[in-house]
Amino acid sequence: MSKSSNYLMPIFIFTAIVLTMPFWFPFLGGYEGLDTKILIWAIFALGFDLLLGYTGYLSFGHAAFFGISAYVTGLMLLHFSSNIIPAMIASVIVTLIIAFLIGLLTLKRSGIYFSILTLAFAEMFHSAALSMFQDWTGGDNGLTGIPTPMLFGLKMQEMTVYYFVAIIAIALFYLAIRISRSPFGIMLRAIKSNQHRLEFTGVNVFKYKVFAFVISAFYATIAGSLMVIYEPYVASEFLDWSTSGHLVIMSVLGGVGTLFGPMIGAAFMLYFENVLSVPLGEQWLLVLGIIFMLIVIFLPGGFVDGARKLKRKLTAKENS
Amino acid sequence: MSGQLINQIFLQVMTGLQLGAIYVLIALGLTLIFGTLGVVNFAHGALFMLGAYFAVNIASAMGFGWAIFLVPLILFAFGIAMERGLMRFFYDRPHTDQILVTFGLAIVIQETLKWIFGANNIPFATPSWGSGIVRMHEYLPFLEGFVAYPKWRLILIGVSFVTVFGIFALLQFTRFGLIIRAGMRDPDMMRFLGVNISRRFTIVFGLGALIAGIAGVFGGPVTQVDPEIGMGLLVPSFLVVVIGGMGSIPGAVLAGFLLGMTLSFSAEYAAIQNIIIYLVAVVVLLVRPRGLFGQKGLME
Repeated sequence: MSKSSNYLMPIFIFTAIVLTMPFWFPFLGGYEGLDTKILIWAIFALGFDLLLGYTGYLSFGHAAFFGISAYVTGLMLLHFSSNIIPAMIASVIVTLIIAFLIGLLTLKRSGIYFSILTLAFAEMFHSAALSMFQDWTGGDNGLTGIPTPMLFGLKMQEMTVYYFVAIIAIALFYLAIRISRSPFGIMLRAIKSNQHRLEFTGVNVFKYKVFAFVISAFYATIAGSLMVIYEPYVASEFLDWSTSGHLVIMSVLGGVGTLFGPMIGAAFMLYFENVLSVPLGEQWLLVLGIIFMLIVIFLPGGFVDGARKLKRKLTAKENS
Repeated sequence: MSGQLINQIFLQVMTGLQLGAIYVLIALGLTLIFGTLGVVNFAHGALFMLGAYFAVNIASAMGFGWAIFLVPLILFAFGIAMERGLMRFFYDRPHTDQILVTFGLAIVIQETLKWIFGANNIPFATPSWGSGIVRMHEYLPFLEGFVAYPKWRLILIGVSFVTVFGIFALLQFTRFGLIIRAGMRDPDMMRFLGVNISRRFTIVFGLGALIAGIAGVFGGPVTQVDPEIGMGLLVPSFLVVVIGGMGSIPGAVLAGFLLGMTLSFSAEYAAIQNIIIYLVAVVVLLVRPRGLFGQKGLME
């Protein structure tokens, strides 16, 4: 595979889809602004894929980064300035420090232990937000009364916020592709396939894992921050395990380790939750859970892998 | 020490035992399944919840005695079906896949229960023979004045102890237990010796679910019966298993009661009570990464 030619195509496709989305998305149904929400979750899932798909670590605690970042952004907008730039910078700094510390503690263990520990840490922050820091976070009611976020003189509303999110999403997608195809990305894949062997060759595996964890938390941070900019309100559910759970579901549905897959999964899940849930009613999550189980059992590579297999079958038929 | 202080400490110990009892029952099943089959069952909280829902419905339709008898059996059958119908296809796949599929199953169970019984809490009354309070000061001479404790919570603590000793005896003193313990060490060797270890592990999976059923019947009236309770109890139960050392039964029992006590004695400091169990877990795992009774080489 030649490297440089493979670079541009995915970015071009992604840019084209993202920039034209506001024009064709309304025809698919769904409320105004759902496309923005899909993009935000796509960013979240993209970072998650760098950890799960490339490094092979299944975190059940990414809600922590998403939620903490949302709270910091909300508090900054509320108490400091309605300008989003200082709010985003503060949320990145705070969340990445926390992510670094959690990474140091949890990445010592792998597999199941890692999943359980990250889940425990996230639940700790969730509990803390509802009890210890209740005065700051608004407890169960969430953080309300946030003023309309501003980018200097520009009000962050409707299409402005969409294109703001879109530009960040394109930049972060480019970054993710660069990371995945860099020597660093190859290291991560080596960790996934056999980290002990890598260790024996003299590589400091732990350092790479912490770095991957923090990068993935960075994507979660940006997503959490953008969520508050998109809708000036912080729900305590952002920190709930179900946020991590939804992230895991969408990533696996789309297909981990493909970068595109988890974003497709995010779009599918939000579309499912908001549009297809109308005919399905309250049972939408049940149907989604069944689809999720079927994918895990029969198609562990997700939608992307399914499409690949289908394509291979079709071309094989043509040739014969 | 003044009598008041003794009374207070006594009551907190009882509360710690009672909280620990539920954690121990759920963690016991988790760690049993993990130690034998190497499966981390994210659906175990959902199994507890299933037990509680079956219990509340059977108890109101046929009486509480039937619930105590039937619910563990139903859960045992469910566990067997789950292992044969789903989990056995995952033994050769990565551990993350096992987590994902059981997580999916947990969602399906949770949403099915929500669909059938609604999202609200279902009141679960204790049976008449288990209601009321016990005047503890009449039995324990070191208590001063009037000290009462709910009878049902004492029963729950008792059931938890009996279950733990039952499982312990089963593993330690029977031929079945001997084979299981040998299988935990080296399942392949058992196969070479002509022992059908897979079938026995299936039964162990059923036993884990059965214990979750027991926890559902006796714990349901104390916790709550709503569709969120499964996941709510799963996280602390995981912590119990991890603190105790994965796959270790004494570890799970000790860690369960340790966590119960911690929660009970920190109740006065409401601000930190909610996060203290996580802090305990972090400290234990930093000092002893394998947990209190973790074995070397298991899930490293």
